[in-house]
Amino acid sequence: MLTPPELVWLIAAVAKGDEAAFERLYAATRAKLFGVVLRILRRQDLAEEVIQEAYVRIWNNAGQFNPGVSSPITWMTSIARNRAIDVIRKRGEVSIEEEPTAMDVAADNPDPLARREMTEELKRLLECVGRLEPDRQKLVLLAYYNGWSREQLAEKFSAPVNTVKTWLRRSMMDIRECLGLA
Amino acid sequence: MAYSEDHIALAAEYVLGTLDATERAQAEVMMAADADFKALVEVLDQKFAVLNQMVGSVEPRDEIWEKIRAAFGLAGAQQPLVLPCDSSAPVAPEAPTVAAAEKSADASNVVALSQETRRWRSVARVASALAAALLVLFGIQLAQPDWLPESLRPKPRVKIVQVQAPAAPSHAQYVAALRKDGGGPAFILTVDASTWDFTVRKIDAPPEQGKSYELWLISDKLGAPRSLGVVGESDFTARPVLASYDPGIVKDATYAVTVEPQGGAPNGKPTSAPVYTGKLIETVPAPSR
Repeated sequence: MLTPPELVWLIAAVAKGDEAAFERLYAATRAKLFGVVLRILRRQDLAEEVIQEAYVRIWNNAGQFNPGVSSPITWMTSIARNRAIDVIRKRGEVSIEEEPTAMDVAADNPDPLARREMTEELKRLLECVGRLEPDRQKLVLLAYYNGWSREQLAEKFSAPVNTVKTWLRRSMMDIRECLGLA
Repeated sequence: MAYSEDHIALAAEYVLGTLDATERAQAEVMMAADADFKALVEVLDQKFAVLNQMVGSVEPRDEIWEKIRAAFGLAGAQQPLVLPCDSSAPVAPEAPTVAAAEKSADASNVVALSQETRRWRSVARVASALAAALLVLFGIQLAQPDWLPESLRPKPRVKIVQVQAPAAPSHAQYVAALRKDGGGPAFILTVDASTWDFTVRKIDAPPEQGKSYELWLISDKLGAPRSLGVVGESDFTARPVLASYDPGIVKDATYAVTVEPQGGAPNGKPTSAPVYTGKLIETVPAPSR
């Protein structure tokens, strides 16, 4: 993995249409982005489509990347993840019974290397998530890591969808406040 | 700008990913039209995106890079976008693979005229479905005058036209997100119903070498698509053209963007199939205002 400054430099070059820089950027980031979208989509073919779209979008929008607001890898994974969520929402619901592998909480198998390299930003966010009640923590992490819908979460937590919606909203408001954004 | 708790919750749940498809589309249109709302989403999005540090990496197959490369050869170019005819299908159609797109690009040289016509008709149906999905929650940001001057600032070479910063509108404002099937908004079209001036803001469309984007009005009542001129040469285009059409037609029409030879379609008729399409929806003030 390249260092963040190297990635920033590559994105700046990509914004000017540098194809060689784009290839290096792809090589340095593809496995991370693919891991993120595959976790949500759970289907190789869909994940491959989304990853292609994500890199086309990264190419088109490289000029909009602002290193003052986000780190390069954060910016790129966010683009890929949002495309994955778009796709899974448009495909409609898949019951969790059909997806036995989706039953585990995401953070059960974090990238062990990444855990050692956990950044201050991640510690800060996890601290804020950690202030929620244990069930709400699980709710938020399942939604984020696995891309579950309110309906899937309602099934998992045996609660009405509207209740889940309220929990999600309240939890996100609490996290925003804890992060100093409210 | 101060946002209601509903707006903040929409932004937060967009980041978390728990909005349904319609709500996500609403949030995306709001982001495209309102820089402050976009910033609200992005700040939280970047805070959460660090969670992905914990997700394990998975190598994609080598072919993926080749497909991405191929997509650039085509990116936004004139390959016809074959739109699905059945717009009522609840499940989004699979995006055509790049290979398929290449094939259809080749085939387009011999495409039959009737097929072209059919495609234009199907565009109207698809666009209706999209507009229905986009209902109105996000109204007032689009009417906020403050995004107009801001979007003008970075690009002094705006081609046309008097832009009047709209006063806080007491009249109807219409907005359409023009998008490729399944994609985010590429252009945002806004129409001021007091003057029928329209503005087109380029959001996410790749630059076209030696080609021009042209905007069309499509209505059953008019027959052939009517050109509303070349758009997207700068980030922002404003023009008084719609006043000559019946308001009912303007409101119900489908708006489509095609890729044409530089300067626009030579005979006032589109030479390619629409790439981005959308329908107008009326925007209303958010309940908290």
